This record gives sequence, structure tokens and C-alpha cells, in this order.
Amino acid sequence: MTEIIIPPIDWRVAAQLSIIFGWASVLLVIALFVPRSRTRIIGYLAIVGVIVAAVAGIPLWGVNAETFSGMLRLDAYSLTLNWLFLASTAITIALSLDYLPRQGIERSEYYVLVLFATGGMMLLAQGADLIILFLGLELLSIVLYVLTGFAYPRIASEEAGMKYLLIGAFAGGFVVFGIALLYGATGSMNLRAIGETLARQALTPEERTYLLAGAALVVVGFGYKVAMAPFHMWAPDVYEGAPTPVTGLLSVGSKAAGFASLLRFLVEALAGEWQIWAPVLAALAIATLAVGNIGALTQQNVKRMLAYSSIGHAGYILFGVIAAGATDGVAGQRGVESVLLYLIAYTFTNLGAFGVLIALEQRGEAAWDMGDLAGLWNRRPWLAIAMAVCMLSLAGIPPTGGFWGKLYVFTAAWLAGMGWITVIGVIIAAVAAFYYLRIVAQMFMAEPAREAPLPMDRALRVGLTLATLGVLILGFIPTPAIDLVQRVVLGVRG
Amino acid sequence: MLTAVLSGFGGAIAAPWLHRFAPRYAGWIAALLPLALMIYFISLVPAVAGGEALRFSYAWVPSLGINLSFRIDGLSLLFALLITGIGALVLIYAGGYLANDPMLGRMLMLLLIFMAAMLGIVISDNLISMFVFWELTTISSYMLIGYKHEYEKARKAALQSLLVTGIGGLTLLAGVVLLGQVTGTLEISDMLTRGEVVRAHPLYSAILALVLVGAFTKSAQFPFHFWLPNAMEAPTPVSSYLHSATMVKAGVFLLARLNPVLGGTEVWQLSLTAFGGATMIVGSFLAVQQTDLKRILAYTTVSALGTLVFLIGIGTDEALKAAMVFTLSHALYKGALFQVAGSVDHETGTRDITHLGGLRAAMPITAAAGMLAAISMAGLPPLFGFIAKEVQYKATLKEPILIGVALVTNMLTVVAAGLASLRVFFGQPAHTPKHAHEAPLSMWLGPVVLALAGLGAGLLSAQVGNALIGPATSSVIGKAKEIELLLWSGIEGAAGQALALSVVTLVVGVGLYQARSIFGRIAAAAAPLAPWGAEGWYQRIVDGMLALAAWQTRMLQNGYLRFYIGLIITTTLVLTTFMLIVGRVAITVPADWADVRIYELMVALIILAATTFVIRATSRLAAVVGLGFVGYGTALVFLLFSGPDLAITQFAVETLVAILFVLVVYRLPRFGNLSTTGARVRSAALAIAGGALMTLLTLVALASPTESRVSEFLAENSAPRAFGRNVVNVILVDFRGFDTMGEITVLGVAAIGIYALLKLVLAPEHDEHKAAEAPSGDGVPRERAETIDV
Repeated sequence: MTEIIIPPIDWRVAAQLSIIFGWASVLLVIALFVPRSRTRIIGYLAIVGVIVAAVAGIPLWGVNAETFSGMLRLDAYSLTLNWLFLASTAITIALSLDYLPRQGIERSEYYVLVLFATGGMMLLAQGADLIILFLGLELLSIVLYVLTGFAYPRIASEEAGMKYLLIGAFAGGFVVFGIALLYGATGSMNLRAIGETLARQALTPEERTYLLAGAALVVVGFGYKVAMAPFHMWAPDVYEGAPTPVTGLLSVGSKAAGFASLLRFLVEALAGEWQIWAPVLAALAIATLAVGNIGALTQQNVKRMLAYSSIGHAGYILFGVIAAGATDGVAGQRGVESVLLYLIAYTFTNLGAFGVLIALEQRGEAAWDMGDLAGLWNRRPWLAIAMAVCMLSLAGIPPTGGFWGKLYVFTAAWLAGMGWITVIGVIIAAVAAFYYLRIVAQMFMAEPAREAPLPMDRALRVGLTLATLGVLILGFIPTPAIDLVQRVVLGVRG
Repeated sequence: MLTAVLSGFGGAIAAPWLHRFAPRYAGWIAALLPLALMIYFISLVPAVAGGEALRFSYAWVPSLGINLSFRIDGLSLLFALLITGIGALVLIYAGGYLANDPMLGRMLMLLLIFMAAMLGIVISDNLISMFVFWELTTISSYMLIGYKHEYEKARKAALQSLLVTGIGGLTLLAGVVLLGQVTGTLEISDMLTRGEVVRAHPLYSAILALVLVGAFTKSAQFPFHFWLPNAMEAPTPVSSYLHSATMVKAGVFLLARLNPVLGGTEVWQLSLTAFGGATMIVGSFLAVQQTDLKRILAYTTVSALGTLVFLIGIGTDEALKAAMVFTLSHALYKGALFQVAGSVDHETGTRDITHLGGLRAAMPITAAAGMLAAISMAGLPPLFGFIAKEVQYKATLKEPILIGVALVTNMLTVVAAGLASLRVFFGQPAHTPKHAHEAPLSMWLGPVVLALAGLGAGLLSAQVGNALIGPATSSVIGKAKEIELLLWSGIEGAAGQALALSVVTLVVGVGLYQARSIFGRIAAAAAPLAPWGAEGWYQRIVDGMLALAAWQTRMLQNGYLRFYIGLIITTTLVLTTFMLIVGRVAITVPADWADVRIYELMVALIILAATTFVIRATSRLAAVVGLGFVGYGTALVFLLFSGPDLAITQFAVETLVAILFVLVVYRLPRFGNLSTTGARVRSAALAIAGGALMTLLTLVALASPTESRVSEFLAENSAPRAFGRNVVNVILVDFRGFDTMGEITVLGVAAIGIYALLKLVLAPEHDEHKAAEAPSGDGVPRERAETIDV
């Protein structure tokens, strides 16, 4: 009998992933020995793990390697995104530490599940193979189904979890079928290999059929993850029903991960068919913008409004995604940069906004109505300022991070030759400013409708401060972030 | 220069503390900052008048060509002096006006922020950084208009101004980005040399339209003018500063700044003179119909902004000079008049001119300042306003229609000036809510200084022309230009014609003032038309958007999961079909039905029958049994086509799932008939279409020869290389073992999650919360919302 040879594994590539998965498993065991009243410790330990994983990424900067037969890749792109995921996870956990006991739903598994979700996101960013992407998608989705239903006594939470699960199952099914078709067409599941096959133009017409059909199905699956219209239907209900920190994670980490994989998939595997998918995605982007932003206009519930807003933002990010595939190298590179920059700015902004909502939420009562924000400036000026900064950033008004994100996305779309899309995007951005600024008006001008909220826990304060400062720093000194994303090169250009 | 801008923001942070520690002198102390800045800018006058431009640049976002660069030339300097000079007076004035207001610190803070942002606009040399400051002025204006936030009207006006100028701002951003793409630079000073390129570019008209919308909304041009009079809800210091002297001139400033780049074309001239002219006439005509002192001034401001746009549109050197002269004269007299109006309001308790009169005895200093400013506004010598009107007429002389517009506007302006001064200070003393007496020093200082400045500038017009107007005009034209500014330029030629027009203006203006009751009647007669004015359209658009939004969410976000999934399937169908059509691929269906065996057909029929049974089933248990049949049927197919291992797996999975289903289903209620027949038919159609697509794709895939590529490899290599004879097993645990492990991990995580949820559910404390929750979904009452429609 011959010896079984295990192919060498480049552990640098899997280092951050291993830390997160390993630590999550360890925490599960530790949690057994931690008394119920001290569950918070697990949260702190989870943050420690996240920080360790983030620090472990620093020496990996500049690495461009693959392992597991090219299924997992580490490059500047995935490392940047990994850091973004870790940052959003850390902030989410900080926001949860006080929220969970206040709502009576504190369980150590919560923190472990959040870590697993982070691992799923990282798989989506690092996956260079359709199977890994599917795996990441499933891991992330399943964890989020559970987390969505975590606010157990609220029926809305259960209903949200159920809806999310059923729609997610549909989308997952489409992705699998799509992957099978892509495999049938090109004989490979590796993104680069697919891209190379396309570049050689070695496909018969039939093979091209499965390729395109498969690509469409895969896009449906990722579209659901990023809440792209018309696969966005779950978002408002789920965002509203889920525990607020989970909503935050859903709106940033999960969306960013979906875009990370969608972008890699489209640029590395399907850049050769840009002419075909660009107009389709452009139409979907416009639909997403319209649905999200117009839907947000009438919302009285701030949590729902943020859900619609997050649908709208998916539309803007799609601009960058489309530009990233452009045959013109400059536009393509700008597209990749714009997606990353937008995601970074958006992540901090949205976490900040949800952080404010968490600070306002008391046990057993939801503080999501517009009226609950009324006169916040008089009651809790710092909370009002944090929320105002986040709203301005979401509206894309300078000097906040959101402004640079929008500017980058628009210039990328313009460079990629999508002039009319850019114009529509700008017009819709103007409409969107209306509902964000309405919240600012509520906080600064209306009279307080309810008594001051509870004093904030330290962790919550730190998380909220981090997020808001992130938005402001990105706004005033965007150069470091821009430098970072400029080093990211994706696809055939890499 | 960076310090000059940043110091404003620094001062803003200090303002609330200032107010806390020195409440009585907060305004005076805060005014030191703009005063110091003004002295700094004055010190730059000789250099700039000598034709120098001072520049400073700091790289901000180099990759996009965005720098924090500042450049001071004649145009910026003129505006910078106005901003800091009037700013200092307004801060002092605000200190007196809001002396007893606990929020004064916040007012001073916002005013300082605004001042810094406004300075940023006028000295920025980079369009993007200018835009950043532009947006900052919009936001601070919003906060300042809504300062008296307990009033519904103030909040509404604040939001309206924000929407109009905010949308204009984003339009401007689009124009700016396009301009950057066309010229390849965002630095204004570089751009100024590339006007030819821009004007010849196919995108020129798009850029122009976008920039004009930005400038017109900010500068309250017809048809966006309505927000400015409504913004008078702001406290008077704000109106005096933002809504007459500075912020509303930002749009005019932008047009003047970009004149060398965009100006000079026919479409530029036509659109600016048309919109400017319309604004002039509409503004002045509405002004004389008002009875609220501040609204009179607001509409004349609208008219004055129209005049500026109109003059820039004419575009001759003479007209541009007139625009600069008018900028200065208007800022001086209108700033003074607003502050006078504020003092009157403050001392008497009313701004309604029908309740005011004869105040010159009670408020002599304020009255003197107000009269002086009003004389300048009416355009009488020797005040600066007279010169402004003379050069304005000279600029319009070539075209009769232009003269007509200017003439009508100026006549009506004379009437408005009379209403704002004579009506208030002369005539019978009226009974006012408060007993009037002179305003404190802090509140008459501003009007007096500004009114005297108007007089001084008129007397020293030659010096003012050389030091300020000349350099400013040169910047707007784009090349150095000597100008001459005289109080008396004789009666020959153009000067004589202008003088004649001035006399006509004055005579008719005074006549109209005497007959002013006619305007009130016109206003009453025109009242029914109000909903069709610009503001009516604004309201209609806002309401329309909200109605559309409500309709959209009702349609799309109705809470029915059935609808959500249906839409996903539809889109997938459309998307896939679109891909296939665009990819222009032919679909060939294998037509070889000869070797279909009878028992294969039987199995297919069983599956079909079972599927129908599942759909028709009325109890959950029956449906589960039906599903089991489908599963076993599929397993039989595997068995028939020589895949016994797959078949065994399928049998095992089916059995397990059926058992699990039964365990869960046991606890659920029976099916209820919740959907209408129509909904069921639609769902069925959709399901069939979705199934058809999948079948089609499968058929196409089967017909292709590519299937053999991998399967051969796997079949050949599974025994020699992986030591397994069962190919499926080898694939699962070896060739794609990593995937299997991943899937197992995912399932493991899912199990942990479910365990955590179970722990929550089994915790007894929560049960009582369950009942009273509303469903999610926009506007769907609980009774209609079925969460899962089976």
C-alpha cells in the first residue's frame, strides 16, 4: 500500500480563518465552565479572538498565495475585507454585550455564532473556488438564520428568521444549480480557471448556454445575500425582526461578504462576458436604488428605514461592481477600489446608526419610531451627534466617509462608460437625502417625546465611538483608506 | 489661509463655553475672530490689487486630484471681506438680539461654522473641496433656519430650504465631477485656462445645466426662489447674514467664478439673462405686495440675486463690473436693512408694516441708519447704490428688452425701499404690541456701520473701484482689466443715458409708492393662483414622492412570503432567459424516445402522481407521505440507471426526512385555506414556469458531450489513486473531501445554533410576551398577514 501524501498547506493563507474557527470552537467548550451570570466573559473573549486574528493579518500584507489546491486564496483584496469583517464583528459584539442581558436573551452561543458568521464571511472573501463560495454562503446564512430568530419572545423575530430561512433556501438552491451548470460548461469550479477558459474562447455554443444560465443563477444567490432588488424582500422584515446588533451585522458584514464574493466571481471568472452581464446588473442596480430609497421615504420605523436604506446602498455598490468588470483597465481598477471604499465607509456608518438604536432600546420596548428620536439632542447630545454624523454619511454629504464612497462609485461608473446610470444614481441620492435628514431634523428640532434612555454601558459606548470616529476619520482623512484599497488588484489584471 | 478657514471651526467649538462664562459679552468676544480675519484679508488687498493671486495647497485625496487648495484673487477677496466684515457685525448683533436666549451659545457656534464654511467656498481653488464647504453652508443654514424649532413653520421652512438647496448641491456635484473629467483637473485655476476645451466639448450643455441648477437653487433663482422668503422664519441675525449678504450669493459667486470656463456662449447668455430677468421681475413684484417687513426684504433679495445672475449672463466687461459693484452695494444696504428690521421687530413686537409707523422719534439711530440704507437701495446719490444702478443701466443699454427688465425691477425696488423705511419711520406713530424705544448699542452698531460704509463707498468710489471692484472684475473676466468707478461720470453718451434712466426710475418709483394700495389689490386678486406657483409644485412633488413610496411598499413589501418567493422565481426566469437570448444559443432537445422502457415510464408516472397528490393534500401528514413517494421514485430512477449507491443514499435520506417531518408536523395545526383561487392559480403558473426552466436547463445539459470529461477521470482514478471502488464515496471523502468536511462543519454550526434557540425557547420566563406582536411587512394588518402560506 502506498503512503498517503497530504499536499502541503500554506498556513499563511488559512491563518486568520483558522484562528476564528478554532477560537470559536474553544469558546464553545469554555462556555460550559462559565456560569450563566458571567456569560459576558465569552463576549470579551470573542473580541480578544477577533483582535488576535486582525493582528495576525498584519504580517500577511503583501502575501499573494493559494492553498488547498487553489481553493482558498489570500491577497490584498481578501485581507482588506477580512479586516473589515473583523472590525465589524468586534463592534457588533461590543454593541451586543449590554443589549443581550437587557433583552433577556444572553447566551454564550450567541458570541460563538457571531464568530462562525465571521468565518463564513472570510470564506466568501478568500474563496477562489465556487464550492468554497457556496460553503461560505451557507455557513454565513445558516448562522444568521439562527441569530435572526434569537430575540425569541418576539414573534416578529421568529417570523423574520423563518422568512429569511425559506428565501435563503431558495437562493441557495439556485446557487448550487448554477455552480453545476458552470462546472458543466467549463469543467472547473476554480474562478480563475473559468476565467481562463473564457479568455481562450474555447466554449461551444451549448457550453456558453450553461455558462450564462449558471452565471445568472449564481448571481441570484449572491443577489439575495446583498439584498439586491428584487431579491431584497426579506430585508425589511428580517432587519426589523432580528435583534438590533444582529441587524447591524446583517446590514454590513453579511452584505459586504456577499459583495466580496460577487465581485470576485464576476471579475475573475466572468470578466470575458462583461458585455452581457453589465447591462443586466445595471438594470438591477437601478431597480435596487429605486426600491430601497423610495421605500425608505415613508417609513416611520427607523429600523425598517435603515433596512430600505441598506437596500439602496447595495445599488450604489453594484455600480462599482459593474465598473470593476469593465474591459477598460483604469475603470476596472477604479471599480474594485470604489466597492471596497464604499464598503468600508458604509460598514462604520451603519454600525454607528444601529449602535444609536441599541442605546435607545430598553427591555421589552422598541425605540425604533421616528418619534423616539425626537429631541435626542436635548436629552443625549452625544448620541444625537453620532446619529447625525451617520445619517449625513449615509446621505453622502461631506465631510463624512460616505461622501468619498459615493464619489468613488460615481466616478468609477462614469469611467466605465455608464453615464446615464451615474445620472440616475445622483438623482436618487438627492431623494435619499430627504429621509436621512428628516431623522436629523427630528433629533435636533422636535421636542423630546420620552424620557432619557438608560445610561450607556461602557462597551456600547466604545463600540459606538469607534464606529462614529471611523466615519469622521474617513471623511476628513480619507487618504489612508484610499491608499489601502488602491493596492488591491483583482482578476486578470492581477 | 488654511488657518483662516480652520480658525472659524475652532472658534465655533469655543462658542458655547464663551457663552457660559461671559453671557453678556459673548457676541462681542466672538466677533473678534471675524474682525481679525477681516484685518488679515485687508492686508492682502494691495497685493491682490497689484494682480497677484495667493495660493496654498495641501494634498487631500491625491488619487482623485482633490486637494485642499486655496487661492485668493480679486473675486475671493471681495467676498471674503464681506463675509468677515458683516460676520463680525452680525455676531455682535446676535449677542444683543438673543441676549436673553439660553441657546445663544449654539447660535454663535452655528454662525461661526457657517462663516468658516462660506470662507471656504470663496477661497477654495479646488471644485470638490469647494463643494464640501458648499454642503456645510447648506447644513448650517438648515440648522439656523430651524433655530426656533418649537415653531412648526420654522421646521418646515428649514426642511424646505434643505431639500431645495441639498438637491441642487448634489446636482452641482455631478456637474463638478463631469467638469473634472472633461478638463482633467479639479483645480479651478487650472480649469480657468481650459475654457475652450469645455465649451467645445459635447458634454458642455449637460455640465452647464447641472451647474446652473446648483447655482440657481442656492441663489434662489426663479423657479426655485420660494424657499428664501420662507427661510425668514430664522432669527434676524441669520436672515441678515446668510439669506441676504453671503450664503445666497454663493450661487452667484460660483457663476462668476466659472464665467471664464463656462461663460460667453449663447446658451449661457440666454439661460442666465432669462432666469435672472424672470427672478428680478417676479421678486420685486412680489416684494411690494408683502406686509411683513422681513418678507419685503427677502423678496427684494430674490430680485437682487436675479439682477446679479442677469448681469453675469450679459457677460460684457461692463456688465461683469456692474455685477461686482452691485454685490458690494447690495450686501451693505441689505445687511443694514435686515438688522434694522430685526431691531424694529425686537423693540415693537411686530414686523407688520401696517401696524408700524413714525418710529423715528422712538428709535432715532436705528431710523437714521435704516433711512440711509434705504436711500442706497433706492439708488440715490451720493450713496454706493446709486453707482451700482448707473453701471447696471450702462450694461443693459444695448438691448431694449434688457433695459425694460432693469427699469421695471428698479422702479419696484424704489417702492420696496420706501415700504421698508418711510412707511416704518415716518407718518403717524402706530400702536405696537411693545412700547418702542431705541435698541441697545450692539443692535444699532451693525446697521450704522453698514449704512455709513455704503455712504463712504459712494464718496470714495474711485478708491473702492481700484482696490476691490477692479481686481474682482478682472477675476470674473479672466484677464486683467482696469476699471473706472465714478460717482459722477457726466451726462454725455452712455453715462447720460444711464442717468436719464435713473431719473425715470426714481420719478416713476415715487409715483408707484404713492399709489401703493394697488399692489395690495393685485396680491388679493392673484391669491387663487398661489397653488400653481413654484411652491405649489414643490409641495406637489414632495407629496407625490411620498404617495409613490407608500404605494410601492404596499405593493412590494406586503409581508406575504408567497409573494416574495414568487418574485424571486420570476426574476430568475427572466434573468436566465435573458442570458440565454443575449448569448444567442440554440437549445436542442434530444428527441430519442425509442428506448424508453415501460417500467421507467411507470416510475415517472408515480412521481408525477405523487407530486399532484402533495399539492392537493389537505393534511400535512398526507403531504409528507406524498413527498416520500416522490423521493422513493427518484431513488428508483437512480436504481434503474445503475446507481445503486446513490439510490441507497436517497432511500436513507428520504426515510429520515419523512420521520423528522412527521415528528414536527404532528405538533402543527391542519392546513387552513388562506389563499384565494386566483392567488393559487398564479402560484401554480409560476411554479410550472420555474419547473419548466429547470427541466429545460437539465435537458440541455444532458445533451451536451462535456459530461464525460470529469466522470472518466474519476472513474479511472478512484481505484488506483484513492483505493476505493465506490466512485461516489471516493468523490465524497477523497476527491472533494474538503467540501464534505466543510458541509459537515456548516451542519455542525447549524446544530449549535438550533441548540441555542431551543435553550431560549425552553426558558420559561418569556411565554407571556408571545401574543400581542404585530407582523412584519409594511401596512399589512395582522389578520391578513399569513407568514407562511402553504
